[in-house]
Amino acid sequence: MTALDERPRTPRRGPTGALGGRITGQELVLIGVIAGLWLVLGLATDTFFQAGTLGNLAYVVAPIALVGIGMTVVIASGGIDVSVGSAVTVVTVIVAKLVRDQGASFAVALLVAVGAGALLGLTNGLLISLGRVHAIIITFGTLNLFRFIALRIFDSEQVAGVPGTLAFLGGGGAGRTWNVPHAFLLMLLLAAITWWFMRNTPSGRHYYAMGGDRAAARLAGVNVRRQEILAYVLTGVLVGLASTVIIGGGGLIGQNVGVGMELQVIAAVVIGGTSIMGGRGTVLGTVLGALLVGTVSSGVTILHWPSQLTSLFVGVFILVAVGTDVLRERARRRA
Amino acid sequence: MTRSRRHAGRAVKVLAGASAALLALAGCTQKNTGGGSGGDGGGGGGDAVRVAFVPKIQGIPYFEAMNTGGKQAAQDIEGLEWVYNGPTSADPASQTQIVRTLIQQQVDTIVVAPNDPNSMAPVLQEAKNQGITVMTSDTDAPDSVREVFVSQASTEGIGQALTDQLMEAMGGSGKYAIVSCGETAENLNSWIEVQKSYTASKYPDAEIVDIVYAGEDQAKATAMAKDLMNANPDLKGLVGECTTSAPGVAQAVAEAGKIGEVSTVGLGTPNSMAEYLKSGASSASVLWDVEKLGYLTAWAGYHVNQGNDLSAELKNASELEGVSYDSQSKVLLLGDPLVLTEQNVDDYDY
Repeated sequence: MTALDERPRTPRRGPTGALGGRITGQELVLIGVIAGLWLVLGLATDTFFQAGTLGNLAYVVAPIALVGIGMTVVIASGGIDVSVGSAVTVVTVIVAKLVRDQGASFAVALLVAVGAGALLGLTNGLLISLGRVHAIIITFGTLNLFRFIALRIFDSEQVAGVPGTLAFLGGGGAGRTWNVPHAFLLMLLLAAITWWFMRNTPSGRHYYAMGGDRAAARLAGVNVRRQEILAYVLTGVLVGLASTVIIGGGGLIGQNVGVGMELQVIAAVVIGGTSIMGGRGTVLGTVLGALLVGTVSSGVTILHWPSQLTSLFVGVFILVAVGTDVLRERARRRA
Repeated sequence: MTRSRRHAGRAVKVLAGASAALLALAGCTQKNTGGGSGGDGGGGGGDAVRVAFVPKIQGIPYFEAMNTGGKQAAQDIEGLEWVYNGPTSADPASQTQIVRTLIQQQVDTIVVAPNDPNSMAPVLQEAKNQGITVMTSDTDAPDSVREVFVSQASTEGIGQALTDQLMEAMGGSGKYAIVSCGETAENLNSWIEVQKSYTASKYPDAEIVDIVYAGEDQAKATAMAKDLMNANPDLKGLVGECTTSAPGVAQAVAEAGKIGEVSTVGLGTPNSMAEYLKSGASSASVLWDVEKLGYLTAWAGYHVNQGNDLSAELKNASELEGVSYDSQSKVLLLGDPLVLTEQNVDDYDY
């Protein structure tokens, strides 16, 4: 077949041989940092290692990491999707109203969420693929468009009194088994599948090829358009799942649900070692990135530090991650 | 040449005709919404006094409730016309743009709830130069030329009511924490100051252990409230300082299964708090009657424009009981805060 199937660009460079190359350097660093932070938090407080605290952390991380899985594929293939926050708003309000006003069941709510998310993702994918304009411009447009649609559906009111139909995926007791949120387990499962897909299937490898050099990938026979559209549809599906996690135990859905979420997701992806220029990145890194951001934001509250420090830490993490990426790229070119 | 010029001429005529028709239409609707004509010849907009209110953002329940109150006032008061026009995002620039448009339309009174008091001040000056009555409502622009500020409640009133309601639920003692929203929001910060000093002086057995900021993000408020409960196992109370964190902290208590163990109060709108008040996840919500605030805003916009003395007019307005006017600071105060509980929350619909 083509040379692409022989892993022309592995997502990692450099020796991590002991683990058979399954884990990249950046991921090892992240695991170390997270373990270090947990150790410090465990020593500094007597409450961090309680099941409750870690369970909350896992629940908060789940929707960010879920969308992050799709975002990793999109960014690794050279695109970006800044409309995911608004897409979450649209899906959340649709499903919340469906569950409250029509009494939809768990299965119906889940299907509608995934379907609506996929439709929004397909819109992005088609516009980007056919418009031939950079993804950041197109999705910036749909960010506003989706927001408008969501506000129309809200109709100047919040959705109050949403029943606990989706509580199985929520943050309350019904959403946990032995204090592990089901949403987190779902995220881990999907992350593992996507991680395997990106590493071991030709289609998965093609995403890295597209991100590395789109024209070359096309010349080598990659169906660039189909791959691209599928990446945005995947992100949309994950947006749908994340929305059901956010609705979870029900209650009140306000109009600013999802607002700004795209930045949290992109932060997790970038901190996880995915190159913002495309061509490199792993889903495992993104999950770790989301965990790190979640740990910091929880830790700041637990330690009674001022909330604004979270922004400082996340900012530093992003700059360090991007900095290492730039240095790595330079070293690679020189070599 | 001539042909194209003739074409252009025709186009201009069509345009002129269309805009004339539009103007006529606009005139009609104006007269219709104006209700009965007072006939005392106000500004250039016809015979009614046109009071335009510019909220921080259009389409959210809070300001829509103010709009409802304003419309009610326009029905009750002869010769008052209510105009409601705000930006679609809480953005100072688009808000000043709307005020400029209203100046061009020569409304009689402009009332603003400024997103940014500093950038609004010069625009209000422009309006005043055009002979328009200028006021603020909900949020003040203290360093501007505004003639009256319609205030929803005093800082002390809100801060003390929040503290009293929480202390009633907590039995007057124990540790509690505050989940606030924007770190720079001046009104929230001044309420927190009152809560701190009032708690220290009136409830010596109670203690504020932490104040955190969740932004205007309900999910984040919920996550932070859970972290606070985990970090302080002896926590007995939580305050949600704004309309997103009030339901946020209540949701956290419900999800953590700590109803009855941890009490919450907050500033939340009736519809958003109803289920939490009924489940016991929230003990009380402190707010003000938002529709009445809109009513008062329209009422004041009319009377200030007519040059009437507000204190004297208040005595004749039985529907505005509890409202007071301080002519020194030019602040029209709605009155005591409204305390929403399980019992009365269904009396309000916004």
